[in-house]
Amino acid sequence: MDKYKVLIGLEMHCEISETNTKVFSSAANTYTDIPNSNIRPVDMGFPGTLPVVNKMAVEKALMASIALNCKQPEYIYFERKNYYYPDLPKGFQITQETKPAPVGIYGELKYEVNSEIKKVRINNIHLEEDAASSDHYSKYSTINYNRAGVPLLELVTYPDFRNADEAVAFLEAMRSIYQYAGISEADSRKGQIRCDVNVSIMDSSLDEAKEENWGTKVEIKNVNSFGGVRDAINYEIERQIELKRTGQYDSMEQQTRRWDEESMSTIYMRSKVDAIDYKYFVEPNIPKFKISSEWIEKIKSMIPVFALERKEKYINEYGLSNYDATILVKEKSISDFYDETIFLGADPKLSSNWMTTMVLGYLNKHELNISDIYLTPKMLVDIIKMIEEGKISSKQSKDVFYKVIEDEKEPSKVVSESGMKQIGDEDTIRKIVVEVIEAHLELIEDYRKGKNVFDFFVGQVMKATRGQANPGITARIIKEEIDKR
Amino acid sequence: MAKFTRDMVIDYADKLLIGLTDEEVQMVLDEFEVIDKNIDLINEIPNISDVTPMTHCLDNFEFELREDVVEESTDIDDLLQNCDSTLDREVKVPKVVEDNGIHE
Amino acid sequence: MEYMNKTIEELHELLKSGKVTSKELINESLERSHEIQEKCNAFVTIMDDAKETNVTDNLLSGIPYGIKDNYSTKGILSTGSSNTLKDYIPFFNATAIENLDKSGAVPVNKTVMDEFGMGGTGTTGHTGIVRNPWDLSRMCAGSSAGSACAVAAGVYPYATGSDTGDSIRKPAAYCGIVGYKPTYGMISRYGLFAFASSLDHCGVLTRSVKDAAIVVDNMKGIDKNDMTTWDSSNMHLYDSIDGKVTGKKLCYIKELCDINMYPNASNELKEHLSNFNKALDKCKSLGMEVCEVSIDKTLLNALASVYVVISCAEATSNMSNLTGFIFGPRGEGNNYIDMMKDYRTRGFSPLIKRRFIIGSYVLQAQNKDRYFHNAQRVRRLLVDEWNKLFEEFDAVILPVGSGPAKHLDGSLDILDSNTTALEEHLQVGNFGGFPSITIPDGFVDNLPVALNITGKCYDDINVLNIAYALEEAMDYKNKIAKEVK
Repeated sequence: MDKYKVLIGLEMHCEISETNTKVFSSAANTYTDIPNSNIRPVDMGFPGTLPVVNKMAVEKALMASIALNCKQPEYIYFERKNYYYPDLPKGFQITQETKPAPVGIYGELKYEVNSEIKKVRINNIHLEEDAASSDHYSKYSTINYNRAGVPLLELVTYPDFRNADEAVAFLEAMRSIYQYAGISEADSRKGQIRCDVNVSIMDSSLDEAKEENWGTKVEIKNVNSFGGVRDAINYEIERQIELKRTGQYDSMEQQTRRWDEESMSTIYMRSKVDAIDYKYFVEPNIPKFKISSEWIEKIKSMIPVFALERKEKYINEYGLSNYDATILVKEKSISDFYDETIFLGADPKLSSNWMTTMVLGYLNKHELNISDIYLTPKMLVDIIKMIEEGKISSKQSKDVFYKVIEDEKEPSKVVSESGMKQIGDEDTIRKIVVEVIEAHLELIEDYRKGKNVFDFFVGQVMKATRGQANPGITARIIKEEIDKR
Repeated sequence: MAKFTRDMVIDYADKLLIGLTDEEVQMVLDEFEVIDKNIDLINEIPNISDVTPMTHCLDNFEFELREDVVEESTDIDDLLQNCDSTLDREVKVPKVVEDNGIHE
Repeated sequence: MEYMNKTIEELHELLKSGKVTSKELINESLERSHEIQEKCNAFVTIMDDAKETNVTDNLLSGIPYGIKDNYSTKGILSTGSSNTLKDYIPFFNATAIENLDKSGAVPVNKTVMDEFGMGGTGTTGHTGIVRNPWDLSRMCAGSSAGSACAVAAGVYPYATGSDTGDSIRKPAAYCGIVGYKPTYGMISRYGLFAFASSLDHCGVLTRSVKDAAIVVDNMKGIDKNDMTTWDSSNMHLYDSIDGKVTGKKLCYIKELCDINMYPNASNELKEHLSNFNKALDKCKSLGMEVCEVSIDKTLLNALASVYVVISCAEATSNMSNLTGFIFGPRGEGNNYIDMMKDYRTRGFSPLIKRRFIIGSYVLQAQNKDRYFHNAQRVRRLLVDEWNKLFEEFDAVILPVGSGPAKHLDGSLDILDSNTTALEEHLQVGNFGGFPSITIPDGFVDNLPVALNITGKCYDDINVLNIAYALEEAMDYKNKIAKEVK
């Protein structure tokens, strides 16, 4: 392996799911099971229809461009990419090429891989429209145009990744950014993320700064899951090393392959010589558009703190472990929930424990999102405070937590209705403590001799109160009562 | 500059999914010759490559982007009334073989 | 009593005073339609069931008109004169037609054109050639051939047209009527079948300048479905025509107008240019200043190729939506490529196919800079030249074509290396989006000839006013075609 250096570049497509309408039409940008029900005439390419650019889609695209530290152009243009395919109703896709001006060029992004911070350079990010989707049957296919025109962001990295871990970590970082910025759900299960992967290998002895040393680029298309990206990269590295080993590498052409999930291998599609000429030209129906600096500033102010920065804060300011911090920032909704509990006065570590064990445990078990459950940050803080104030025991708090979610009731209501209240009243506890001690006066002597009878008394009090006595108060009163005797 | 040849014309026609007769191929070549001569003249214009290509009709045009407001979907009967082959609410086509991966 | 030879103003008065009804006008217009169809083959569809509308204060209410068949008309066959759309019935109206509908205008037929506007002869429509009503052995020019023919023949006072190179203004000249295309973006192109989007204009053919102003007043307006439209609500074309032109400055281009530029000039050309010179004298007698200017011949000679390269490139892409899958007759074949090829091969006329090949060639990556981008560069140089003229002059005045309508035989619509800039200069109006109007300026061999007035963008009122003043000073207004042979 050390004999070769691996160069991996990614093209990541992600649907923008968080706009109301499509990118060039005012049809709804929502998922629906009813075919051809989110359609305006332009989405099916009816004669005479024209694209009209959605401001929000451009805003989200610029947001992604800014998040990737790209340079935004003074003017944006759109271009036509011309080719025929049944799911491309106009016979071209409206997209952006690097010339004249996509929404972002020449950026870079820091991401974490195995607790190490790495950097990847971004060549460009551009806004385009998705194609329709088809269903294939034994003798025919059917086309549903609901997806046609859905806004799509495509970003292209330089070949800066050296292994599959890095590539996948970057994709995860991007997914997180898209989710955090409210650009997309970035859910690959919904087909929102699709990747093309470029892989080449070069002799480690050669100078990496020179592009001609990079080896022969192989592009792998249509990799639709992060697991697939990892497998495709690893497969392709092995395949290319094998070609080197058997002396066939030098005759390998620059080519496009596709990832086949079933055989877990990459399959040859075409050589670069057969590459399609897409006959790009500037879309004349969309006038060039000036991106004002005011707009850029406004968008900047809307960009939230991203996961990597939040994580650093959780570790450095709140003293959380790397492990817990990683879990908390994985989804913005969780991180936001957590941040809200801190804002409402919860202890960062206690809240973190609750979040990582109880909250996430529950969500994972039931495959729910945090917005799906009744629990709010305020409720969680209430539960934590009730424990701190001794109103409920930590054992009870778990029951409260589940009841809040399942019965959809406020924590205080759950506690009062279930009679689960912790006995925090000193007189009540003292009365029980006195009873317990008087029933076992012989143990006082043992205590004075240094024997540990304390736990026994606590146990007895708990038994008498069915665990409802506040442990702190109970311990204090037992000590007081023993000392009196 | 490679000349526009008969074979190239046929290849282009094929890529455009249109068929041409021999006579039509020759007509393309004849028409193209005129254009080519004119383009030669254009290339003699001093500093032509410094001129920014004019891509739009109104070059200094200021316009507004569309607000993100949903309009009602077109009725399915309207969408499919001109389609010769449908299945339920969808357009039916011959089986598309999935070895293309043409989308980029 | 005949009414369809009258102007819009006259018809409105008659309708208002109750001397004629909308129903009567429609009946006369339909009757004329059938007569002219017999002689000239001007229509794809005649709407025998056209319904009268209420006569309101709108000048167009109750009055019949014709629609070029590349305008999408709801529930009415719209073919673009192409076999690819021979049965296409749109479910929506083009915005311009919707606007005329709101004015109470009554469409009575759809007019034949060169297939999808790609031609200048009126001979390439799928329903056959259109004959010139002045002389059935001659062409109307194109592409708005049927519209020009019908207006000239007195079927109605106006018909819509579209103009990508000179497709309104040339047929208007050959038919002895007025053809006006306003500044790009004044009338929405939504619903107009696209030919070359950066050059396509909607406009109108009428028999007087005032009628042209009235109709465009009712067609225009900013449209949310066409990003290239602009707000012209404070421009009232008809109301602004006052005929006051004293002190206006016009120029004509020596290289196009000087008879000495044409050593082998035909008698027709000589007479045509002499008519033009008489019109210039009229301009002077109206108190306008008329100057001769010079334009670089290289630019003028490149004009036609610039047009072909840009229009073919955009057209091949624009017409990629013609696949036969969603609309149009489904092709035969076992897979989608064969089906589409069959549909396109049978559906498009040879002329269009050839243009597609050229358009495709000039967009190929290895050719794009030499052909397409250079054409776009010369487009800019030409537009800059004209804009320089507009700094000093109110309008450019030029003869249209090299004489009267050409004969139908031997006039196959192929590019001829002898084509002079004189035949093609109107295309500059499309390159720059300039408001441009053709008005008749006399007869050669008893056939009408015309001149053109073109002004700077957004200066439509000035252009109309000059045209109106000149029209009033000459004697060729509202002429109905009388068959001369």
